[in-house]
Amino acid sequence: MSGLEFFKVESTENGGDKYEQIATAVLQDHNLLSIVEGLYLYIDPSKPLFAAAGVIRPPRSAITVSDVGNVLIEEETKATIAVGSETYLAPMLKMLWDRLGHDNVDQPDRFTALINGVTIPKDLKDWVVIDPSESLFKDLIYAVQVIAPEGFKVRRESYGKNRFSYAASENSLPENEAKEILTRAFAEIEEGLV
Amino acid sequence: MTIVPVTYKGGLYQLDEVIDYIEDLGGFIVQRHNIASEVVLQILMPAEDIEGLRTFSRPLAGEVLETPLVGTEIAVVIPSLEIHHLPHSACDVAEYLRSHGSKSNMLGMARGFGRRIAQMNDEERDLINEHDAAVFILGNFASCIGTKFPKFRSGITVPIILTGGPSREALEAVTDPPVEGYVGNLGRFMHRTQTEEDISRLDAVIEEVERVIDARRKELAEDPLSLSPARLQALLQQKIPEIEDILAPAPVAVQLTGLRPKLPYGGYAQRIRDLEIENGVKVGDVCDVKKSRMRDYILIRIKPLSETNIVV
Repeated sequence: MSGLEFFKVESTENGGDKYEQIATAVLQDHNLLSIVEGLYLYIDPSKPLFAAAGVIRPPRSAITVSDVGNVLIEEETKATIAVGSETYLAPMLKMLWDRLGHDNVDQPDRFTALINGVTIPKDLKDWVVIDPSESLFKDLIYAVQVIAPEGFKVRRESYGKNRFSYAASENSLPENEAKEILTRAFAEIEEGLV
Repeated sequence: MTIVPVTYKGGLYQLDEVIDYIEDLGGFIVQRHNIASEVVLQILMPAEDIEGLRTFSRPLAGEVLETPLVGTEIAVVIPSLEIHHLPHSACDVAEYLRSHGSKSNMLGMARGFGRRIAQMNDEERDLINEHDAAVFILGNFASCIGTKFPKFRSGITVPIILTGGPSREALEAVTDPPVEGYVGNLGRFMHRTQTEEDISRLDAVIEEVERVIDARRKELAEDPLSLSPARLQALLQQKIPEIEDILAPAPVAVQLTGLRPKLPYGGYAQRIRDLEIENGVKVGDVCDVKKSRMRDYILIRIKPLSETNIVV
């Protein structure tokens, strides 16, 4: 897994260089170093203003029932899932209980899940167990909060497609200035990643 | 007779004899740590007998180290207890101070974050003032430290060691009036201190704290205490057996000018005041036994000779 391909810290005061180390350590601790492709941090302690713009790599695809185990449809109302990987077993059972009913889904032993007494949907093996991209941006924003100076409680964050941004201050957020900085930051990241 | 702080590290074999040797020479064991089959003793003992202890413990493979921070309680002050400071760098500094013999307490303020909005309340200030020194761990920007630090230092009467990301000179430039000690190039970091460079920064903190504590000891020597804190600790341990039941790692924390027994104030303060030290002199005659701001503990402040005209 590769790390950050573009990383820049812009600071109006000496001391900004320490944020390179802080950001790398935080992203590594949160297992996000392989997800984030480009990151731009802007720090102005005198205003004060902290802004972060980031671009991520395409997230991993969703985990489906067939990723957890082999689906064997025995009858119209009976199917067996032979669990291959236990990593997502608990969320899969939870999803099946929610969608098919607790009484109809059973786990007789560690590696078997049985569905009985309900019409088995044809596309059962394609049902999504977990979508890692759903929680990814929340994790990213949390990581940026940890990177940002702690007193910067007034904040604005946004995420969508493959990019996220975060601006924070101790006082009212200078919105236009933050927007300008983030636009410039994204332009630099995209230029740097080409 | 000058009492100096040392640490003894050795095995369990013939440990009783080492302890007897220390106590026979007028030394006091401030704290004892049992780590697997090794024992670490933090001792205050006469300077002229340290060489004797070294010779005595050599056949037992014991090690005697001079650790100036033994017998001190130091506050490691951080702006808040948020993830921004914990576990790195605050815990690393506190733990390093502990490994050098000091009893360190970490103190994060309820509303200490930010530069304009940073505040310190009375309880926090009083708690810091109950220590021998306070190490302030601040961030990476000189302008932030310059704005924020005056709000924290106001009312602090114990020596302050200011640490931060900028260089020592930059820290000195933003502090007016100056504080007792400075350590630069530390600041906020989020990784474990394990490289040689990181450790050398922690060593710089220890060096500065030792220098400040040394200066404080010299200052105290000009008007000595009426009673040695270590002797008072030994007396309390002898006369109040309930101390044995305290589960805190340091049931009686020794300071430069007093003690903090972790006993409830209501039940024990008067009992401590009434304890006789020798020849009818009671603890209450030479000490102030006060309520600590830390939980319901007791704080004993030993009065100087100039106030009591007695040395026991």
